[in-house]
Amino acid sequence: MSTLMKDIPGGRGFKPKREGSADILGANSEIGRKLKEYYNDLVSTDVPDRFADLLSRLEQTEKADQPSDKKD
Amino acid sequence: MSSDGGFKGDLLKAIPSLRAFGMSLSQNADKADDLVQETLVKAWDKQSSFQPGTNLKAWLFTILRNEFYSQMRKRGREVQDSDGIMTGRLAVHPAQHGMLDLKDFRAALETLPEDQREAIILIGASGFSYEEAAEICGCAVGTIKSRVNRARTKLQEILNISGEADFGPDAIASQVMGSSAA
Repeated sequence: MSTLMKDIPGGRGFKPKREGSADILGANSEIGRKLKEYYNDLVSTDVPDRFADLLSRLEQTEKADQPSDKKD
Repeated sequence: MSSDGGFKGDLLKAIPSLRAFGMSLSQNADKADDLVQETLVKAWDKQSSFQPGTNLKAWLFTILRNEFYSQMRKRGREVQDSDGIMTGRLAVHPAQHGMLDLKDFRAALETLPEDQREAIILIGASGFSYEEAAEICGCAVGTIKSRVNRARTKLQEILNISGEADFGPDAIASQVMGSSAA
C-alpha cells in the first residue's frame, strides 16, 4: 500500500470543482467570447460630454450649497 | 482608486461600463444614457452612504439596475418573466464555430428575459463574481448561477451552438456539408 502523501488537503481524492465565471463562460466558450466582444464594443464607444458636464454641475451645486441654501 | 479626481473622478471612470450595462439592460442607447445620467445624479446625492474601500462599480451598477427596473415599472411594462417570449421568432443561421456574427449574438441576447440577461452580462462580461452579482441583483448566489446557466443554454439553442468545446466528427461534417448551402 502506498503511503505516498500528496498535498491534497482533506483527502477528497480530487480537486473541488472550481467555480467562477471562468468555468462556463471562459475563453473556451463561444458564448463567453461573444459576450465579451459584445460588451467591449459597448464599453469602448465614445462617452458624450454631457456626463462630464453633469458631474461638474453637481460639484458646483454642492459647493454653492455648502455655506447656506443659496443657489445661482 | 480615489486618488486624483476624488469621487467625481471615480464616477467619470465608471461611465463607460455603466453605459455598457445600461445598454445591455435596456437595449437602447438613449435609454441607456438616461439611466447613466440618473445613476450619476443619485450616486452623487448618496455619496455619503458609499463606504470607501468597497466596490464602487458594484454600488453604481446596483443604482443603475434599480433605476432601470423602477423606470420599467413606471412605464407599466411587465418585467419579462423567465421564459422569454420571443425566442422562437428569431431566425439565426446555424453558427459555425468561431464564425458567429456579433449582430446575431446581439439579437439573441435581446430575446433573453431581463433577469437572465443581466446575470450573464454581470458574470460573463462585466467581470463581477457571483457574490457581487447577487448583491447587485438583490438575490441569492444560487439564483444568479441558475440564471446564468439558463441564459447560456438559451443562447446556445438560439445560436445553434451545440455542446460547446465539442469538436467531434459531427461538427466537422456539418460544416463541410453546410458550406455550400446559402
